Amino acid sequence: MNSQIQQITKTEWEIPMGFVPGMRVPGRFFLSENLAKNIEDGALTQLANVATLPGIIRYSFGMPDIHWGYGFPIGGVAAFNAETGIISPGGVGFDINCGVRMITTPLHISDIPDMKGLIENLFDAVPTGVGSKSPIRLSQSDLLLMLEEGAKNAVDMGYGMAGDIHHCEENGAMKGALPEHVSKKARQRGIPQCGTLGSGNHFLEVQVIDDIVDEATAKTFGVSEGQICVMIHCGSRGLGHQVCTDHLQILESATKKYGIELPDRQLACAPLSSPEGEAYFGAMAASANYAWANRQIITHIVRELFVKKFGISYEDMPLIYDVAHNVAKWEEHDVDGVRQTVCVHRKGATRAFGPGRIEIPQEYRSCGQPVLIPGSMGTPSYLLAGTQGAMEKTFGSTCHGSGRVQSRSSAKKSQTGEEVAAALLKRGIIVRAPNQAAIAEEAPEVYKSSSEVVQTVHDAGISRIVARLRPLGVIKG
Amino acid sequence: MAFEELEHTADVRMRISSPDLPSLFSESGFALAKTLYGPYHFEKPAYSFPIEAEGKDPEELMVNFLSELLFLFETEYLVPQKFTLSVGNSVSGTVEGVLFDRAKHAGGIGVKGISYSGLSLTKTETGYELIIIFDI
Repeated sequence: MNSQIQQITKTEWEIPMGFVPGMRVPGRFFLSENLAKNIEDGALTQLANVATLPGIIRYSFGMPDIHWGYGFPIGGVAAFNAETGIISPGGVGFDINCGVRMITTPLHISDIPDMKGLIENLFDAVPTGVGSKSPIRLSQSDLLLMLEEGAKNAVDMGYGMAGDIHHCEENGAMKGALPEHVSKKARQRGIPQCGTLGSGNHFLEVQVIDDIVDEATAKTFGVSEGQICVMIHCGSRGLGHQVCTDHLQILESATKKYGIELPDRQLACAPLSSPEGEAYFGAMAASANYAWANRQIITHIVRELFVKKFGISYEDMPLIYDVAHNVAKWEEHDVDGVRQTVCVHRKGATRAFGPGRIEIPQEYRSCGQPVLIPGSMGTPSYLLAGTQGAMEKTFGSTCHGSGRVQSRSSAKKSQTGEEVAAALLKRGIIVRAPNQAAIAEEAPEVYKSSSEVVQTVHDAGISRIVARLRPLGVIKG
Repeated sequence: MAFEELEHTADVRMRISSPDLPSLFSESGFALAKTLYGPYHFEKPAYSFPIEAEGKDPEELMVNFLSELLFLFETEYLVPQKFTLSVGNSVSGTVEGVLFDRAKHAGGIGVKGISYSGLSLTKTETGYELIIIFDI
């Protein structure tokens, strides 16, 4: 660990002012002492660079899954003042509203004698990997509506239940979407990819709830031990990637136009109140809405398969919750005792609002927002709840996953995909992907331990563990 | 091989070397394609598309060129086999290729964007060298 870093508590660390020139606030990150041993210098510098941005409030934050990213580190969180602050695609990422959702089923392990068959069926049903095509045909006007209405649009088209919408962050549609700032190119990429999983770390996993830590909250969220669940992790596909690429170019010029001094070109940004900033926000919100619709359509494909295969009812597979990982949002927070509307960037981080916030569905409100933390392939995922601690410390934010520690190239050198799949099978986990390299690159060993990351956010008080989910079968893109 | 993968924790980092700028752009195009599609064998091209990009400096030109290619790959399902490019203050030319076939081209990983992170395009004694990260 760099000698300038100060340890504040067992799980909290500070990057002091002056770590890089021009810092307006210090950096704060959350890591167990064990995880802190392996923090990358590049990620610390990125966290400090974010602290130089105009209008940043209190701290530039890093969650325990922090690692080197584009502009902001992955696991980076920063809130900006509405008048003096900026918005930056580097604080959101290429995959706008990459996120996670979880549905439960009435099934138990004993109801699925042929897990391999189920995973094969899911792999055939859900378009997965490079070159996969949408199962639906969207027109340009269909797409425009989707960009405005998000998950609701998918449900209106028949892909889901009305109750699904209320169990998505932002009710599955961010306000302020401006489809006119989503370029023709982005729309061209979006039409054939809607309802596809993508590749990389995106996945669809069949899991079983194998440990309940907080019985009362688990009951409120509607989950119980032994229950089979499905977790879906994907984002806004080529549409969101193109929006990021397009607006990075626009904001690169805007940075110069508004005289913003940056330590790193990747932090290209514009004042929140500028036309360029507003255009990016509107395009980003539209992309986020597309991502919610995308996850909604995939959910429908999964439910239909389960209905057909197991004879269960569609309505018996409720959506527990859907969270966004890569997004910038207007939110109300208490800053120095005053309620303010600020723009919170979360880049590989999850909103984790504490009990009582009106944004949380009424039936969950007393417990805090459900937070879904996917494990890496082969390691447990977790259901957590947001806390008051997160509201006070991190603008209501927590981690989003495990965080990589090993490169893809060295992962491929150390094990083949066949070896990884065989090792997972020994532990009762079935993996299906379009190619073996995709499995090798996502081997469990290349990630931090999801359990350790989740324990850190629990100990730091920025969310609390409700239940653990063990993977049974996974499809990877 | 004119390109090799370097260490990077989360993304794909490539070093591409070439004797001149047009071939540096072509090789970079193949590096992107082989990241997406995995290793594939040459086939006689069946389709041809024009490609153009602009940029204020060689690095920006490269990022914009590869972003254009990525768009073409994703919307036309094109697997490139041959580039014919002229490179100056802008890049223009054609890319020829075949249609994506899951049986032959599903060995790679989706690329989300072309990154400015750690980007360098330098002149060397033997030509040009590019180091670039594909965000995945």
